[in-house]
Amino acid sequence: MKKLLTRHETYVFLAIVVFSIIITSINPSFFTIENLFDLLKSYSLMGTFAIGMLFVLISGGIDISFTATATITGYVVAVLLLKYGEGLNILSVFLIAGGIGILLGLFNAVIIYFFKIPSIITTIATLNIYYGILTVVSKGKWLYGFPTWFGDFNNIRVFTLYTADGNPYGLSIITVIWFALILIGWFILRYTILGRSIYAMGGNPASAQRAGFNLLGLNLFVYSFMGLMAGIGSVIQALLVQTVAPNSLVGKEMDVIAAVVLGGASLTGGTGTMLGTILGVTLIAIMGNGLTLMHVSSLWYKVIIGFVILVSVGVSAYRSKRSTRKHIITEVN
Amino acid sequence: MKKQMFWARFLSLVVVLSLLAACAPQAQPTAEVKEPYEIAVVVKITGIPWFNVMETGVNRAASELGVNAYQTGPAQADPAQQVKMIEDLVAKGVDAIAVVPNDAKALEPVLQKAKEKGIIVITHESPDQVGSDYDFELIDNVKFGEHAWDQLVEHMGDSGEYAVFVGGLTVPLHNFWADTGIAYAKEKYPNLTLITERIPCGEDQELARQKTLELLKAYPNLKGIVGFGSLGPIGAAQALKEKGMTDKVAVVGTVIPSQAAPYLKEGSMKEGILWNPGDAGFGMVWLAKYILDGNKVANGTDIPGIGPVTIEGTVIKADAMMDITPENAESLGF
Repeated sequence: MKKLLTRHETYVFLAIVVFSIIITSINPSFFTIENLFDLLKSYSLMGTFAIGMLFVLISGGIDISFTATATITGYVVAVLLLKYGEGLNILSVFLIAGGIGILLGLFNAVIIYFFKIPSIITTIATLNIYYGILTVVSKGKWLYGFPTWFGDFNNIRVFTLYTADGNPYGLSIITVIWFALILIGWFILRYTILGRSIYAMGGNPASAQRAGFNLLGLNLFVYSFMGLMAGIGSVIQALLVQTVAPNSLVGKEMDVIAAVVLGGASLTGGTGTMLGTILGVTLIAIMGNGLTLMHVSSLWYKVIIGFVILVSVGVSAYRSKRSTRKHIITEVN
Repeated sequence: MKKQMFWARFLSLVVVLSLLAACAPQAQPTAEVKEPYEIAVVVKITGIPWFNVMETGVNRAASELGVNAYQTGPAQADPAQQVKMIEDLVAKGVDAIAVVPNDAKALEPVLQKAKEKGIIVITHESPDQVGSDYDFELIDNVKFGEHAWDQLVEHMGDSGEYAVFVGGLTVPLHNFWADTGIAYAKEKYPNLTLITERIPCGEDQELARQKTLELLKAYPNLKGIVGFGSLGPIGAAQALKEKGMTDKVAVVGTVIPSQAAPYLKEGSMKEGILWNPGDAGFGMVWLAKYILDGNKVANGTDIPGIGPVTIEGTVIKADAMMDITPENAESLGF
């Protein structure tokens, strides 16, 4: 119990519960399975990006370029779909997008590792390069009118329920994909040497190197994993809206980083959990959803999100400051 | 000795070069033949279908009228970036600038500066613009706003709850149409109820989809959505289709016909309203050249392919509003 109280996730979870109670008391339709399924589907995109971001943040880096990576992978996939639509299937689409994402991620890692440029600078630069190249090549054209199988895949539900009015809803296949990615990420972080090494590198890169960890390998893994998530995310987005617009993702990096940080990952590396990240995404999701359901003008959304992030990060910083102080006092004694 | 030789050569070279430079313009007086006018069209954001179609009009005007006209714009719909681009064009000294503003207010100083330099400034979709010579509208904006609500009522009936999407709160025309339409509805359709403030999601399909899903739950009696911004109605239609509620909520608004065609056909979107952005591109360039040639725009001035215009103050209006229906959406060519 005491251990539970020291965990950041507990507080995020409590915040979610409090917000949920407030929203439900104003509009009961918030706390319905239908709304839950809708939210899970809509936020699968942000959630997928967040998994990759969590890995990067734990490793002590940051990746701003993933939206540009996703824009490129999404665009390539869209072009292929329009050209060879019937010859592709959903698996090949994910593989192509993921593969390109991994390559772009590797490029980031190589620059960060060999030139020792801070990851934020590197990825701001590659964001511009990737996005710039895409704008030049694509002239910014939107792509739509994908083959019907691609649209149909978006509407697959693992099981289907009906509302009182007879409208169908259910757990979307897209949500299932997101859940599978969460499980994979969680397993890597928690139960593999690779995962533990990422924590070690993020906590203290110098001692991790002395302890014999392969920092190059770890960097390559972390950024290519982010690239993979960006690639998968771009397909999820294309599935969700059935349009690939070069300007629809770039600019949303901070929302994802905010969600992961909200879930307890530290920008200085070494900390963060999959559970926290899911909670962070959930909190941001229900706030956006809840405001509309409470009949609050959506113009307030950003203000409130900003405050929540500030309070959350402030509380966790205050707690870690207090715990180090306690630590020092006990050491002196 | 060697050094002296060097200087002598160097000096003679300088003399020869400067002589050449001085002669050059006199040597080829024929090169001074009037250069074609340089007319830059600066749009809100590059790459979206709407402005890609506008660009085809600009390019058509360039080749038909023999002017150096081209279209440019920021990669994001960002007022600051747009201001910067226009500043660069002013510094470059183009003959005319046509702008589709992201933020009318933000552009005032830079348009003023352009005018002081003698550059002709034409805006589009910004009737109250300060700092421009003329504003060109392909439609009568009051009629357009009212017509959108007429369409809404045609498909949802003249009573019930509805919502309004705009591209952003600083986009001049979207908000003008919304203001006009809401006021018109109060007069003519008193039983319509606007459920919430207009929602700025019309240029982001994912957001429009998500907002529509939320609205459906927050306002179970919702019967209609008017969307301005080419992606708002599409996102809304998508949400309705997912929920199987295409018969319960009527979506109308501004859309690109080819993109909206499947939604119009299946009924998740009822009807669209628009003008041809290609005409807007052509018209702006045509007007710029017409004015640069020393002509004065008057009532009845005829723009080829668009028709006669009327002028009120500095606003030049043509009447090219069109309805987009399931029947014509695919044949309009953009």
